[in-house]
Amino acid sequence: MNTLDASAKLWTSEWCRALGFLDGVPTWFYFFLALVFTYCFVVIPSGSVLSYLDRKLSADLQARVGPNQAGPAGILQPIADFLKLLQKQSTEKSNWREDVWLSIHTMALYSTLAVMPLGTFALMLDTEMSAFLPFWSALVLALGTMLLGFSQGTVPGWFGGMRIAAQTMAGSFPALMGLLCTGVRTGSFQWSQLATIQGFSPLSWTVFSNPFQTIACLVFVTSGLVLSATPPLDGGLSMSDIHGGVASQLHGRKYSLYRFGRFYVFFLWSVITVVLFLGAWILPLEVSRFLSDKGANRILSILELILLLFKTFAVMLTVIWIARVNPRSRVDQITSLAWKVLSPFSLIALVGASLWMGWRNLG
Amino acid sequence: MSETPTTEHSTSDHPEGNRKESRHNTEDYRPKDYQAGADYLAEYNAEFPLMSPKTDLTRWKIGPFHASLPASMILNLVLDGEVISRCSVETGFLHKGLEKALELSPWSSLVPYADHLDPENAVFGELVVCTAVEEIAALEVPLRARVIRLILSELTRISAHLSYTVRLARSVGSDTIVHYVLRDRERILDLFELLTGSRFSLNFLRFGGVKADVTEGFIERVLEICELIKIRLKEYNDIFTYNFSFTRRTYGVAVLPVDMIQKCGITGPNARASGIILDLRKSSPALGYDRIDFQVPIGRGESGALGDIHDRYLVRLREIGQSIEILKQLTEIIPPGDFLEKKLENDIKIPTGEAYSQVESPRGLLGCHIVSDGSGSPNRVQFRTPTISNLLCIPELIPGTRIEDLPVVLASLDLGIAEADR
Repeated sequence: MNTLDASAKLWTSEWCRALGFLDGVPTWFYFFLALVFTYCFVVIPSGSVLSYLDRKLSADLQARVGPNQAGPAGILQPIADFLKLLQKQSTEKSNWREDVWLSIHTMALYSTLAVMPLGTFALMLDTEMSAFLPFWSALVLALGTMLLGFSQGTVPGWFGGMRIAAQTMAGSFPALMGLLCTGVRTGSFQWSQLATIQGFSPLSWTVFSNPFQTIACLVFVTSGLVLSATPPLDGGLSMSDIHGGVASQLHGRKYSLYRFGRFYVFFLWSVITVVLFLGAWILPLEVSRFLSDKGANRILSILELILLLFKTFAVMLTVIWIARVNPRSRVDQITSLAWKVLSPFSLIALVGASLWMGWRNLG
Repeated sequence: MSETPTTEHSTSDHPEGNRKESRHNTEDYRPKDYQAGADYLAEYNAEFPLMSPKTDLTRWKIGPFHASLPASMILNLVLDGEVISRCSVETGFLHKGLEKALELSPWSSLVPYADHLDPENAVFGELVVCTAVEEIAALEVPLRARVIRLILSELTRISAHLSYTVRLARSVGSDTIVHYVLRDRERILDLFELLTGSRFSLNFLRFGGVKADVTEGFIERVLEICELIKIRLKEYNDIFTYNFSFTRRTYGVAVLPVDMIQKCGITGPNARASGIILDLRKSSPALGYDRIDFQVPIGRGESGALGDIHDRYLVRLREIGQSIEILKQLTEIIPPGDFLEKKLENDIKIPTGEAYSQVESPRGLLGCHIVSDGSGSPNRVQFRTPTISNLLCIPELIPGTRIEDLPVVLASLDLGIAEADR
């Protein structure tokens, strides 16, 4: 708990002290503030920016205009959508089972905020187990989604729930192997270690450190899409036959909550991909050294966050681009891709990366 | 898929049989125990439960309105896991009563009504009615009017096949191609607007000709758009036709065998995709295609299974190409002259007689039987629509596919429920 206390205090306390009050408040309060801060000032804005970019870019791809009414070039559309979604009410009588499972699945989902790596100072849980915690969360999320579907008592709910469970089971093995590959290079699963072994230059990124890590990165990204049922690999949420599966019975605010949860998994997975493989938040050495010598940790963490989010958005937009152009795959095709293609390749990557490291250490 | 047990049922035991018998009882036309696949459960062997066929089957009744259905109908599915093991179809939710409406209306209202036989292919409804009436009344159609009719038909065929592509792409969840295709289809609707003044319900054909001559610049615009669509067909192929995910969704899925086609009377592109050369444009010179040089595309079985979804799609794409060729030749041979023999009175009376006419609509063979008793309105109008046959094959075609493929299979059959529920 000491590292937790220290790190949580380190970055939230600085911001709080700048406000001139909150001296001597307990650690858990800093911790709580950090979670709220991350959610309100990182996750939600990222969601709105990305939803705008998604809609505008896919409109460009599809020869249409996209949002253009709210603000210049429709830039205020996410805000308009948010306000609209807030006032939407459910059209059906509340189903308590659904409420329970929706809250459980939402809690499981956002518990990962605590382990979300967002910069040198924005690390709340930086333990040897940190990198594994999102997996736990993804599995709990799948269980929650499955039971949410079952609790609805409809055919789309059943099939949606089962398909999500099947996809998550299939995707988590190769994803885990991909994570182990980075551990082989780093020798640790601490976010800080995983990040600092890389540099600002792409040549020093884990993904380009050897060919097996490149395979591992591709497997990790793809299996993340399988695991989190993100388009184009979202057979479990198929719109045309089962109305989006689990989402088919959700209305109004519940539906918004659910959809934002799905976005969050995608976002989390992309952040993790960037931290593990694509150079994390590491700025050029001179910049970070200069800023930390000056004691400008707040500016440093803002710059780091900007770089990290920039890379994350690049990853997400690439995925969205592919999803827009390609048809949706069937769920049995997705699971067979995960078991028969991704899993062998992830094992090859793991063995290869280990041998590579062993060979280098021998030399 | 599990083995489908085949047993003989007496007519009274069979749910479909019961249903037919009680059709005339208006209070309860459907037996209370009517359920798709009830006979499946009747197979349960109480003595040796493990010897029984599957008993943990799910029933799912989809419809009359559902995202996976192309139109209003009810599908009674019996699911074995994700695989559909039995299926039955119910239609008739539109209650159009079109044939009766035609019988009650004067002859001059036949054409605007016939537009609504199949709103997507309005021209073919008009064409089939006009040809039948012209045969009864022995009206001669001027050559210019015949060519204008053919131009409209081929434009409609292109438009219909483009909408087919849209529906298929939507069913597999491919948004981008949908917008590209719709954009090009708009150009064809623009042409309709230029010629007839309306985009969907054209109301343009008349007994013995067409309503108006072609507008200035129409022929040039047709040629322009032919060139455009020819280029766009290549784009569709690049982005969609041979896309890996799309081929994986369509190769070898829902293969229509030749014997099922013959049994159900399936015509048009669905039949041609399975290798049957059956096209009225070639076989019936009365339609006026005898002077045109074009080919009838048939399925080639590129995926290894002749007559699967991909073949049905490809045949339609190739038909668009052939329609472009036909249009080019039509614009060359369009002769000068009248577009209408003579304008008919509103209260015209067609002489006694009957006629059956057929055209090759984008969905298949469309027939119309009209009986006239010499009065001011037709005595009997009947249509033979291609969608009825396509519906007939569903209970045999669907079992064995997964429910995720259900929308794709239905979209690939090109069901026009408006003409089935006429």
